Amino acid sequence: MDSSPPGKLRDVHRLPAGWNGLMHLIAGGFAFVCVFPFLFVVIISLTEENALLLNGYQIFPEKWSLYAYSYIIRTGDQLLRSYGVTLFVTVVGTVLTVILTTLYAYALSRRNFKFRGFFAFFAFFTMLFGGGLVPTYIVVAQFLELKDTVWSLILPMAMSAFNILVLRTFFQTMIPDAIIESGKIDGAGEFKILFRLVVPISLPGIATIALFSTLGYWNDWFNALLYIDSNHLVPLQALMMRIYNNMQFMIQNSALLNSGQSREMIRSLPQETARMAMVVLATGPIVLAYPFFQRYFVQGLTIGAIKE
Amino acid sequence: MFTKTKKWIGLIALVFAFGAVMAGCSGKGNGASGGDSSSSQQPSQSGESKGSEDKKADPVKLIWYTIGTPPSDLAKVNEEVNKYILPKINATVEMKLFDWGDYDQKMKIIIGSGEDYDIAFTASWANDYFANAKKGAFYELDALLEQQGKGIKEVLNPAFLEGTKVNGHNYGLPTNKELPQQRVFRFNKEMLDKHSLDISNVRTIDDLEPLLKAFKEKEPGIAPIPAKIAEFLPFDLPVTDLPFIGMPLNTQDYKLINVWDTPEAMAYLKTMHKFYQAGYLPKDVATQKDAGDYFKTGKWLVDVADSQPYADNLWSNDAGYKVVSVPMHDPIAFNWSVAGALQAINAKSKHPEKAMEFLNLLYTDAYLINLVDFGIENVHYKKTGEQSKDSIPDSGYGFPAFSVGNLMLTYLNTGDPEDKWEQFKQFNDSASNAPLLGFQVDTTNMTTELANLKNTKEATYNSLFSGTLDPETNLPKVNQKLKDNGLDKVVAEVQRQIDEWRAGQ
Repeated sequence: MDSSPPGKLRDVHRLPAGWNGLMHLIAGGFAFVCVFPFLFVVIISLTEENALLLNGYQIFPEKWSLYAYSYIIRTGDQLLRSYGVTLFVTVVGTVLTVILTTLYAYALSRRNFKFRGFFAFFAFFTMLFGGGLVPTYIVVAQFLELKDTVWSLILPMAMSAFNILVLRTFFQTMIPDAIIESGKIDGAGEFKILFRLVVPISLPGIATIALFSTLGYWNDWFNALLYIDSNHLVPLQALMMRIYNNMQFMIQNSALLNSGQSREMIRSLPQETARMAMVVLATGPIVLAYPFFQRYFVQGLTIGAIKE
Repeated sequence: MFTKTKKWIGLIALVFAFGAVMAGCSGKGNGASGGDSSSSQQPSQSGESKGSEDKKADPVKLIWYTIGTPPSDLAKVNEEVNKYILPKINATVEMKLFDWGDYDQKMKIIIGSGEDYDIAFTASWANDYFANAKKGAFYELDALLEQQGKGIKEVLNPAFLEGTKVNGHNYGLPTNKELPQQRVFRFNKEMLDKHSLDISNVRTIDDLEPLLKAFKEKEPGIAPIPAKIAEFLPFDLPVTDLPFIGMPLNTQDYKLINVWDTPEAMAYLKTMHKFYQAGYLPKDVATQKDAGDYFKTGKWLVDVADSQPYADNLWSNDAGYKVVSVPMHDPIAFNWSVAGALQAINAKSKHPEKAMEFLNLLYTDAYLINLVDFGIENVHYKKTGEQSKDSIPDSGYGFPAFSVGNLMLTYLNTGDPEDKWEQFKQFNDSASNAPLLGFQVDTTNMTTELANLKNTKEATYNSLFSGTLDPETNLPKVNQKLKDNGLDKVVAEVQRQIDEWRAGQ
């Protein structure tokens, strides 16, 4: 572009200034609409409790306060515990998911694998038919005896047919047979081919699966609702879901429960600002996951191992 | 192609068959290992009780699911409970609390999957008692009540057991607490005094208007009615979640009508709408997610609650300022108020007799019920008199006392009148019975209509009954919609069941 004579040719990649401005405005507006609710939650969490009760939600609150955060840090053993549980489940779960999915999908992607059709169908079948809630529960809680263990949060989500199919397709289209052949010619075994040749050039695909499962594990609360009874294993999202459910429940049964015994319940609920602060704390770390995985997506586009 | 599919079907069938065999084996395996573990626990437990139980059979371990936020000291209290009951009934209990919002769903899965448990909390509003009893999830208690549960029968007002019968049998043990419903207007006394408002003439919603008007003028920043208030219309509602199918409380002919089509409902909604337009309720009241925050801050004048004797004291304790109330009507025993809190025994429980013995203790043993409800003395509460206590704040234990046992054996709060439980008994005796007390609707033949009607209700109830919508224009529309969604059919079916029930009495 630098070499083009100045003033003669206009940059073909450039929109006219007016359109450019308009497009930026639309995209910017859309981005703002996406980000704003979260910013608002941050603002509410930093509002002083009384100001909030008097004035309701305000974009520029009358009084700022860090009380909600100090309250959580002071009283939130449960929250910190849950943080730990969620972190553990997310990290271990993601690693496990990536390993299992990669192994399964890679095998399916190899044309010379004898039972390829069967195993593809075996995975695919679970996408069409599920056992339903109660049978799933029976298998996990009673047959595998995972109830009230941290594994009940990890294992039920470790394998997903969708992930397998995505990764299989990725391997099939992105890994040329020539690469595998070249490994064989040089005397590499199957494992060496997989880990030294295939995995390094498949990082974008694997990162996609890892991102999906990180988000899945981080945001999962339903498994905890089903399988976890003890307080010390409740993950973060389940804790928040519990607070939300309790609020719903209280709103629905307000008259009934006002008959004297609501005390324990009201006491167990954090204040509005504290609830918002919990949301902020719960969302914070996962936002950081995106840039981390983004690196691989960008890299993935530029990788080219072979020219054909 | 075809041979291939056939092969697939064969394979799948094989996998399923294999799975079934495995499950079957494991089921037996579990049973055996369960037996093993209980017998292996036995030496340590009899060691604890200094070998005094040697002559008896192995102690039984009961699993008890109940509602409430799990407190951090639950295990400690549970241990104390076991120490106390082991010598008495040769059993221990494992207390498992599920949080308020989770309880219903968790119990659905536990019951649905046939998981092992012995005792569970049930009520008309959580872990639906009537539905579960009808489908046979709970143990029939009639015989047990005569043997292991004699103490329960002695202390309970007979109306409790009568009102919670399903097809003539008892499947749950109601908590011995307030039996009827009495809805009241609840006032923030501080606000009343501050603006010298007089509540002595209040009885109906319309009587509130002058108070609200005066209050709004003096405190324009506060909505006097802080949230959606529960309505009281003089009807008995036989179908849960459908507040428009009702029978007038003073009915003579036992005919069901559409409550929302009555002048009473229209008058109530008009009043609410008037209040809403005058700014007596928050603008966003229909969608509001406030769960009692106003109660903490004291920025309110009046709301609605269900009362019991000396409830004002309880509320004042909760709030930290004085709260007073005036009743809207005399106490009435409804099906759902009688079934406000029960404990049931699992139909598949291996030790129903032991479970009943344990429940019997909760109704007759003052030490045990106080331990379960309030925790350990001097750790979680301090006694301040013969029959009174103060709880120690943030002590790590809290249990919803109304959910189990005999409330009348529990310690009073300091400052409660001595005759509180006496008043409860009088309150219970004073109740008149709702026309449909003892009738339970069978919904099997109308599930589609019920779902549709429930959706219609969900879509309109909050905005109508919070006063947000104008009833003049909207109520007829809603009623038409209810008709379109099969209201008449449901009414006819429920009416038929009621007629049958009446004939059988």
